[in-house]
Amino acid sequence: MSTAETRTDGVTTDDTSAEGPGVPCRLAQIGLRWHATHGQASLFGPLWKLAEECDQAFRRLADVWHAEDESHPAFLSAECIARLDYLRSFPHQATFPVTLDSSEANVEDFLNGPVVDDAGHVAPTRLAPISAVLTPAACYHLYQHHEGERLTRPRYLTTRNTCFRHEESYRPLRRQWSFTMREVVCIGTRAEVGEFLDRARWVVNRFTRLVDLPIAWQQATDPFFQPMRNPKYLMQLVQPVKHEATYGAGLAIASVNLHHDHFGERFDLSRDGKPAYSGCLAFGLERWLFAITDQHGSDPADWPDLVAASRTVVAEASVVRPTVAASGAGRSE
Amino acid sequence: MRTEAETRAVLRDWVLKKASGLDPEQLADSTALFEQRYLRSVHLPELLLLLERLRGAPIEVEHLNLDNFGSLDAMVRFVCVPESAP
Repeated sequence: MSTAETRTDGVTTDDTSAEGPGVPCRLAQIGLRWHATHGQASLFGPLWKLAEECDQAFRRLADVWHAEDESHPAFLSAECIARLDYLRSFPHQATFPVTLDSSEANVEDFLNGPVVDDAGHVAPTRLAPISAVLTPAACYHLYQHHEGERLTRPRYLTTRNTCFRHEESYRPLRRQWSFTMREVVCIGTRAEVGEFLDRARWVVNRFTRLVDLPIAWQQATDPFFQPMRNPKYLMQLVQPVKHEATYGAGLAIASVNLHHDHFGERFDLSRDGKPAYSGCLAFGLERWLFAITDQHGSDPADWPDLVAASRTVVAEASVVRPTVAASGAGRSE
Repeated sequence: MRTEAETRAVLRDWVLKKASGLDPEQLADSTALFEQRYLRSVHLPELLLLLERLRGAPIEVEHLNLDNFGSLDAMVRFVCVPESAP
């Protein structure tokens, strides 16, 4: 437990460093550089090492299901993102990769201009059409990659990606424009996905207990634009599909999400002849850095052995049946 | 003011019109309409308007849960005994 007291949302009161407002001294001293304008973090030293260990541990946890590894690019095509209905649900969070229109004259015009103006903004000339979105959730790539598959048994996959979500404001490690997400996904029947989500909650409970990170599970909804006008948001209220493992006063460090057959239908994924169900277990890596250093302090010698804990969970999972009911838990309806 | 039986009949007719692949014989008062995916998000706005009309009162965000919407039984209870709504 950190020594400074009076938590609000898990933030201690020794809260300002030379890195600027909102960057706790303890984080600046162990390897965080905060880029406030764009809500992004550079990691180095002990914090970088902790981040690597976190992902090694999360990846190891995916062995509970013998999940297959995949890596995917930073872009999702506009065609794919349209099928997900992402831009209609979360337009305020979308981040687009843009380029100059590549005609030589247009690029010359750009070079003849200020390139970057006095306000620090790029001064573009004509832009090329936008054909992609920067990945907002690591698992989206998986459904596209497995499009058209006819499954005869459940498929378990894991992937990690840098994700981009534009927000009104940012806080170091807790809410960032770009952050790292590790996901484990099950594609299968309704029952198989239900069992996966039950086990995922057990895995998170067991792992956080082993690393002495107190969590509480909370029902949650996705951050829809104008939510009360969006039937998908209303549906998430009527039938909860997202449950978050929260640290402190509500910092979600992991979530289990039930997608029903949303992705199965949109990507023609079937299991035993019917649209496949899917669900995911997601870890927000930077938030784990915040939670671990808040709980265990800034000295790496006091940090838990995350990889050893994940090994223990995998070993136990082979003989323990989950008893926690994940009564649904995604982004989708 | 409709009776409970009349309310149930109106809701049952509406569900059967909207729910794809649901035979009248399959639709029990306790059928889990959303969990079984007979009803989906696209149906919710119209269902909310119908329930508000039957109830004669607006539906608040805190009313949106399976206890009130999950089945015909739940919806009838929500409409006919609004003060007991969780």
